[in-house]
Amino acid sequence: MLLQTREITKIFGGHKALENVTISFEAGTVHSLLGENGAGKSTLIKILTGVYQPTNGQIIWQGQQTFINRPKDAQDLGVNVIHQDRQLVPYFTGLENLFLNRTYPKNKLGGINWSKMREQANALKEKWKIDITLDKPVYDLTPTERTMLEILRAMSYESKVLILDEPTASLTDKESELLFSLIDHLKKENVAIIYISHRLEEVIKISDHVTVLTGGKVTASLQKEEITRERIIHHMTDGKEMKTAEKSSNKQRSSTLLLSVKKLGTKDKKVEDVTFDVHAGEIVGMYGLAGSGRTESMEAIFGLREKTTGSITYKEKLLGKVSPKQMIKAGMILIPENRHDEGLIMSNTIRHNMTLPILDDVSKAGVITSSVEGKKVSEEMKRFKVKAVSENQKVAELSGGNQQKVVFGKALLTNPDLYICDEPTQAVDIMTRNDIHLFLQEQAKLGKGVIFVSSDIQEILEISDRIIVYSEGKTVAELVNDRIDTHTILDICYKHQKGEK
Amino acid sequence: MSQTIKQQKQKMSFSQKLSAYGTIFAGIALIVIFSILSPDSFMTFDNAINITRQISFLVIIAIGATLVMSVQEFDLSIGAMASLGGVVSAKLAIAGVPIFVSILVPVVIGFVIGLISGAIVTRFRVLSFVTTLAMGTVIGGFTFWLTGGSTVFENIPESFKFLGQTQIFVFPLLSIIMIILVIIFWYVMAHTTLGRRFYAIGGNEKASEVSGVSINYYKTIAFALCGMLAALTGALLASRLGSAHPTGGEAYFLNAYAAVFLGMTVVRSGISNVVGTLFGAAILGILANGLTILQVPSFMQDVITGIIIIAALIFQKIGRE
Repeated sequence: MLLQTREITKIFGGHKALENVTISFEAGTVHSLLGENGAGKSTLIKILTGVYQPTNGQIIWQGQQTFINRPKDAQDLGVNVIHQDRQLVPYFTGLENLFLNRTYPKNKLGGINWSKMREQANALKEKWKIDITLDKPVYDLTPTERTMLEILRAMSYESKVLILDEPTASLTDKESELLFSLIDHLKKENVAIIYISHRLEEVIKISDHVTVLTGGKVTASLQKEEITRERIIHHMTDGKEMKTAEKSSNKQRSSTLLLSVKKLGTKDKKVEDVTFDVHAGEIVGMYGLAGSGRTESMEAIFGLREKTTGSITYKEKLLGKVSPKQMIKAGMILIPENRHDEGLIMSNTIRHNMTLPILDDVSKAGVITSSVEGKKVSEEMKRFKVKAVSENQKVAELSGGNQQKVVFGKALLTNPDLYICDEPTQAVDIMTRNDIHLFLQEQAKLGKGVIFVSSDIQEILEISDRIIVYSEGKTVAELVNDRIDTHTILDICYKHQKGEK
Repeated sequence: MSQTIKQQKQKMSFSQKLSAYGTIFAGIALIVIFSILSPDSFMTFDNAINITRQISFLVIIAIGATLVMSVQEFDLSIGAMASLGGVVSAKLAIAGVPIFVSILVPVVIGFVIGLISGAIVTRFRVLSFVTTLAMGTVIGGFTFWLTGGSTVFENIPESFKFLGQTQIFVFPLLSIIMIILVIIFWYVMAHTTLGRRFYAIGGNEKASEVSGVSINYYKTIAFALCGMLAALTGALLASRLGSAHPTGGEAYFLNAYAAVFLGMTVVRSGISNVVGTLFGAAILGILANGLTILQVPSFMQDVITGIIIIAALIFQKIGRE
């Protein structure tokens, strides 16, 4: 046994990100970690690479307890990670990137000995059987070549454990094959691979061992012969109570069509074929695995992302090239996924945030009518029970839940007919989560349309009338939320992934 | 909850106090020092009035810089723009147009050039830093062509000097214009939708876009207003001096940003604002005035001014951490 986490627990401000996690990683094997977003995979990786320290528990390296207090310690042990967002300098060549973190070989004048550097690099390429050009700048390389380069660099540090975090996210099937054959070679050289991917098929194909994490706990540990799709999905949905929320009250949806999206595609191909309808008075849940294009399609509808194909019809009007400003005027509002970067202006006050979209309504000839503005803001603060010193407090000083309430207050002030909520309950407390659900249900009852995007299947099942399933930039299924469970939805997701048709 | 926050406020550490009020303390300290060192010439009513006139150019051009910085951009062409404004204004006066027109035309030119800079920066998403540096070069070249490189001063009618040299009772007209502009732009930034949107964009461009603010439009407006105020500064300077030098505005470029940065250390910490800019310019003005009275050589004045600006920035940073 090369590396083991023993009863690792990590607590972030009362929230258990990991709980008693014990996993063993063997040399010369591929060990995959599976779990939904927030299941604790990233936290575990950060503990193994010295970014975080565990609250409790031990890390065992070759039979002895060890402490990985900073990233350098992990590197010294030989634990290296290759991230989704690649860590290469785009304007440097492959060769220069390879030596970024190493001592450059020197020539007699104290400058860089390029020929020696090339010699060393070629020896590395030979050893690890990685055949890539090192003369091109990184921005000229394909995604596979970049991944290969990063692996080569990691191996140049004598890696014993190589962590691959979603390495195939931007690769085509053929490129992935190249990566898999390299992984095979690394296995033969006795490297332990920790593999993280949302793509179940490739996990099944290359793994010797699979560990499933759910809500920070290990819920399954499967050996090679046990790794099947059914089993994995079974374990990923395991331990969750199947709640059927009371949606009875707004079961009958109105026939008024609010939004109709047909064959939507964006310029960057993040969205390729998205089709769905939203009626007045219903809550439509959008589910899909990471990178399935949910967020991007919402941005395209709201005018934040350029669309190239398909049509969007809102309130019987075909939309051309639109801006968020126009969409807000037309009665649509987006509650963006990322509160800090897109939802709020952290350095501004609650008041200034809330009225930003409706400044024209609280002003005369460009001059803000303070009394009108103040009244609107305090009404919303009261309605959403925002806990703050005053409306003039900066939103950065509020808790996550209260910040999200400000976002909702801001949305409500625009008096929308359609709410597009992208992960609206991410990183908020249970109480606020409940409040948000209640608010949206109440709005639906009033005849508003609600789109609810979430990575949490259970939550989608709790709140939606209908569920649209996304996979790889396409909508692949539409389900009425009636006697369906997480199993059904996950099955659809994985069935439509690349490589299985 | 509100109580605990109030208590926190009372328990401000020394470094926080230094950060919040350091620039104001520094200003008061300067006045005290200069008053002690030269009681007869510095601490007089006439000199105080004099200082307000001296800083009026800096304040007006720095208000423009404040606006552009509120949307998180830079305009490095304001020095060149002021020079052009002065030259155009003086040339028009010599050609015999009414003083009102000879001020209005450069102001409009400044506005339009600012619009162009803003449109380039927003449309093509290029760095304002580089774009306006290049624009400044273009403006400088144009000004040189207009003047042949020499100062414009022959045949300037006396009437042209009205704005720059008139006193109302004891108050110079320039100081009054400055005060009016400070009040107008303070009001714009604090109480209008325009100012609110400027600060929103400066705080978080992406979030502002999601909230329906037209980023490109408002950023362009900020550049246009900045160009307008820079050109006005040049025209007023020409009216004061009765001449216009093709690089006469350059001196104000760096000092304008120094005033804005000093201003960001007072009032609303970390955010460019008009009242703060007035303070910043006042400190720079007091410093220049006092050091001149003490007959400190100008190179030494530069050294002292630079050190004071650096110190203010460091104190602000320390206090925020």
